[in-house]
Amino acid sequence: MAFSLDPHSRIDSPVHRIPAAAKLIAALGILVATVSTPRAFVPVACVLLATAALSRIPPLFLLRRLIILEPLALGVAILALFQPDGGRIFARIVVRATLCLLTVILLSNTTPFAELLRVFRRARVPALLVTTLALMYRYLAVLVEESERMRRARACRTFSGGSGRAWKSLAAVVGRLFVRATERADRIHAAMCARGWK
Amino acid sequence: MSPAAAIEVRGLRYRYPDGAEALSGISFNIAEGECVGLIGPNGAGKSTLLLHLNGILPDPPPPEPSVFVFGRPVTEENLPDIRREVGLLFQDADDQLFCPTVYEDVAFGPQQFGDDLALPRTVATALGLVGLGGFEKRAPHHLSGGEKRRVCLAGILACAPRVLVLDEPTSDLDPRGKRELKALLRDIPTTKIIATHDLELVVELCSRAILLDGGSVVADGPTGALLGDEELMLAHGLERPHILQHRHPH
Repeated sequence: MAFSLDPHSRIDSPVHRIPAAAKLIAALGILVATVSTPRAFVPVACVLLATAALSRIPPLFLLRRLIILEPLALGVAILALFQPDGGRIFARIVVRATLCLLTVILLSNTTPFAELLRVFRRARVPALLVTTLALMYRYLAVLVEESERMRRARACRTFSGGSGRAWKSLAAVVGRLFVRATERADRIHAAMCARGWK
Repeated sequence: MSPAAAIEVRGLRYRYPDGAEALSGISFNIAEGECVGLIGPNGAGKSTLLLHLNGILPDPPPPEPSVFVFGRPVTEENLPDIRREVGLLFQDADDQLFCPTVYEDVAFGPQQFGDDLALPRTVATALGLVGLGGFEKRAPHHLSGGEKRRVCLAGILACAPRVLVLDEPTSDLDPRGKRELKALLRDIPTTKIIATHDLELVVELCSRAILLDGGSVVADGPTGALLGDEELMLAHGLERPHILQHRHPH
């Protein structure tokens, strides 16, 4: 199965059936409540857990996605530990970030991305931003597959070497990937122009 | 006066930005309704030539155009019309399928040209033509290679072009995918130019072939005679296709 940002966005559940616009507004509301009032933590958590249960998305998947994204939140939160009463601030930032992440993960896995884009468009989000998001979503999978192929090709010709060499080869893959992505961007632009893009 | 050629190329030259010469004086005419195979080794300039046929290259179009579509020069002001008349199928389907859903992708061209009202019907018709009716809501990255290629073709057919320009349409396809695509192309009566290494495809679909090497036209003639000339084919990194070798008059 190819890489996908939102593998569960097309299953059927009561949550999936809610119109995309309603879900987007609800998610925004939850984000604002979580960020602005500490007292909202418990009710928000309850709402999110209930949504998760109703959505029929495997809980393990949600947990794994959270763990992947958590370091970003922790990186910021750790700075809080260096101030007086840092422990409490740290805990608050982590809880807040986790709830926000869970909200977004749930939104993106209960709503096909194309529908979210349609809502953005209707809400008059600038067209350039929507197009950029659409292209990002479309080509993320292509990029991941390309990097995976390059990593494999490297691994096939890597016979020895410590971590130093591994870092070096990773750097080469990242550099090459950047060049390839740029070339692909040129070809995509040509393909868009060929069908009348101005 | 005879009707203008579908595609006329007159002394076309092109240098890559790094200075290397890619096309060194190419000329040919393609009449309306013709199906022409463009063959030649890797690096002969086939893809570069194709990108000139609807004005993607050079960017911006030169003041003295060398490419004419139905008699109209490829100039900046003619670009929108010419891109609508010349449909270009790219080598890598992933480059061409840039929208989040199949529907939006097929609708992209007609939308640019301002056909909003008939859009759903145009898309449904185009998908039906390539045998993918009902694929509207699918995501391009979840399609098979053959399906991707056919969605690309639908996206082009939706613009109702008068000339189809195809770059390696059968590369990366399994035998069934190839067979289906060939049948599909055979049924499309539009003028076609097909750049390919798939010489059997040329034998089966094209009445005429143009052999390109080193940025110049080496030979231009009926497919059977050109591809049957073993010496010529070997000299330019190609071979006489098996399908011709077995066609002896017994």
